[in-house]
Amino acid sequence: MYRYDEFDHAFVSARVEQFKDQVERRLAGELTEDQFRPLRLMNGVYLQLHAYMLRVAIPYGTLSSRQMRKLAHIARHYDRGYGHFTTRQNLQYNWPALKDMPKVLDELASVEMHALQTSGNCIRNVTADHFAGAAADEVADPRPYAEILRQWSSMHPEFSYLPRKFKIAVTGAERDRAAIQVHDIGLHLKKNDAGELGFAVYVGGGQGRTPMVAKKIRDFLPVEDLLSYTTAIMRVYNLNGRRDNKYKARIKILVHETGTEELTRQVEAEWQVLKETDLKLPQKDVDAIDSYFAPPSLPVRPEGWSGLAAARKADHSFSTWVDQNVTPHKNPDYGVVTISLKPIGGIPGDATDAQMDLVADIAEKFSQDEIRVSHEQNLVLPHVAIADLRIVYDLLLTDGLATANAGLITDIIACPGLDYCALANARSIPVAQRISERFGKPERQADIGELKIKISGCINACGHHHVGHIGILGVEKKGEELYQISLGGSGDEICTIGDITGRGFSSEEIVDAVETIVDRYLDIRTDKEENFLATYRRVGAAPFKDALYSEAANAA
Amino acid sequence: MSDISEKPAGELWGREGFREDPYIAAATLDEAGDAPAVILPLAVWLGLEDDVRNATNRKIGVSVAPGESIDPLLPLLDTIPVIALQFPAFNDGRSYSKAEMLKSQHQFKGELRAVGDVLIDQVAYMLRTGFDTLKVTHAVTLTRLADHNLHDTPVYYQPGRGSHSAPGTYSWRRVPGA
Ligand code: SF4
Repeated sequence: MYRYDEFDHAFVSARVEQFKDQVERRLAGELTEDQFRPLRLMNGVYLQLHAYMLRVAIPYGTLSSRQMRKLAHIARHYDRGYGHFTTRQNLQYNWPALKDMPKVLDELASVEMHALQTSGNCIRNVTADHFAGAAADEVADPRPYAEILRQWSSMHPEFSYLPRKFKIAVTGAERDRAAIQVHDIGLHLKKNDAGELGFAVYVGGGQGRTPMVAKKIRDFLPVEDLLSYTTAIMRVYNLNGRRDNKYKARIKILVHETGTEELTRQVEAEWQVLKETDLKLPQKDVDAIDSYFAPPSLPVRPEGWSGLAAARKADHSFSTWVDQNVTPHKNPDYGVVTISLKPIGGIPGDATDAQMDLVADIAEKFSQDEIRVSHEQNLVLPHVAIADLRIVYDLLLTDGLATANAGLITDIIACPGLDYCALANARSIPVAQRISERFGKPERQADIGELKIKISGCINACGHHHVGHIGILGVEKKGEELYQISLGGSGDEICTIGDITGRGFSSEEIVDAVETIVDRYLDIRTDKEENFLATYRRVGAAPFKDALYSEAANAA
Repeated sequence: MSDISEKPAGELWGREGFREDPYIAAATLDEAGDAPAVILPLAVWLGLEDDVRNATNRKIGVSVAPGESIDPLLPLLDTIPVIALQFPAFNDGRSYSKAEMLKSQHQFKGELRAVGDVLIDQVAYMLRTGFDTLKVTHAVTLTRLADHNLHDTPVYYQPGRGSHSAPGTYSWRRVPGA
């Protein structure tokens, strides 16, 4: 993992000191809320429906046990005993008092964390594949590059007042677990024919009101050009992105209105000027950052496999959990464990202080002291020996963390929605909870197979509904909360935006509507191997619309 | 700490402190009368005859709005004493990129000036992207500048003006100082 050096410490503590001064001036009434607003946003402090909210950056979703314990400590002492992991691999505290914010930031700084650039029209926390450095299918670990981008984008003098927020995601495998094609810039780390590392560069993806899949503007960018090329993209966007309309200000609109070819030409022209400047990355610096992410030296543990077979035979629930929540590791003696934060009927992404402490303890003993936060609002133990799976499972079970539903219909992504968010049209969390309860039986979930439901409480799409196999969007119509359904979205390497089915459903109807869709899928799939998305891609929307609206008509 | 009750000697600020602004802003040359130093809007400036623009008895600078391109200025940079890049609203960041391009790519040697909604939190960014002077109206900014409180960080993660490489660390890092 990356460790702060003196330089990083000096930077973060200076920012905390500045914010302390600003909070004091706000509390003393020297600053009005209007004057304070841009200052607090720069430090990740939002004003929500009921209280201030603090959004903590977890760079590329990687945490140590020590950091996780600190997050638990903050939840316990400054919040109501829990935190909420978001789709941006961040953590949000919903109830801290303003007067405590500087103390919380001090606490975070003591474990090399901060809340900078988690809001505002700047380059936000850089995200990456949550299985980075562990997954069997990875070409190279994307996190060193995410870390270089994190540093370079911190308080960038040229790019801190962009037309709109800016999100960068990096992945190092063909299988895209970081949804790079719905980011402003998506980087796919890969090797060329000569075996050198570089990036395929995607630009202009995004969700929100106008969802778009990113366009590939370069197939191979050498690693040494990462910062100069990114600067070229940012500069073209900063100068030309629309500033007249907040809803048209993301780079996706610029790409769309300029045309991919012309935009690529502009970026490449700017890059020619920047290429041979101080932004060129020396290999020794790349290597130095890379060494922080050197793969842990994992002891040989071949005994795991024989024991595993026996343990699976003896306990069906454990076996299901292994099937569902354990992914192949680079090292055959190990597995990557997904800890579901989606207990049946629970709040997606919430974790209590005790749960965070438990995960920290388990990671320390059984996962090389490492934890990941996934954009699917789950936690990940990246390096667990197959031989330790049983004990890890038993420990997770003690505090409701062993739900065997990763990737299944109850592994729902939901934004905070109207329960917390000032921008929401509708509730998301209770809808997620009711769907989870409806489909909660393990046999039923297993039969349905892989199915991603994603729920947003408004068109800002923080719940990524556009790329849900089933997406649910809260809208407001004549004072009533309605839910619009879209089908066939996907955020992986074959990225698609879901199609809206038709008129929305009331809060009472929505769970039945989802069930209608699922039942129709079960009826028409060729066999169990054909998952929901594949079926949808084969048959299109018609059979589902038919089921939804003719049944609704029949019921009326 | 300097005495903040002391009135700044003008509203033009640079790294050395406040100073009198020799320029007046005018919509046309006529409006400027016989002022010895004047800043004109881009379109007007571009419309001037070469001999007027290059006259040695008065200085004529040019003001560029965020939506205007700096391209027409590029062949003439040697003749321009001051370019004023506008910040009509603090959150319009286009002028930062133009400053960076003028100074780094086009070696503009004249005075680069930020004009408009200059907030204290932005001063350090402006200096680092290449602005020499700031025309400040915002009261809090004036007080803070008089107080030498630039709201800056002790280290930077990007190359920029007014900083040098930090020895022994990564190529993109800088520390303040010439
Ligand atoms: S999608 Fe809308 S309701 Fe949900 S968190 Fe984002 S802004 Fe709030």
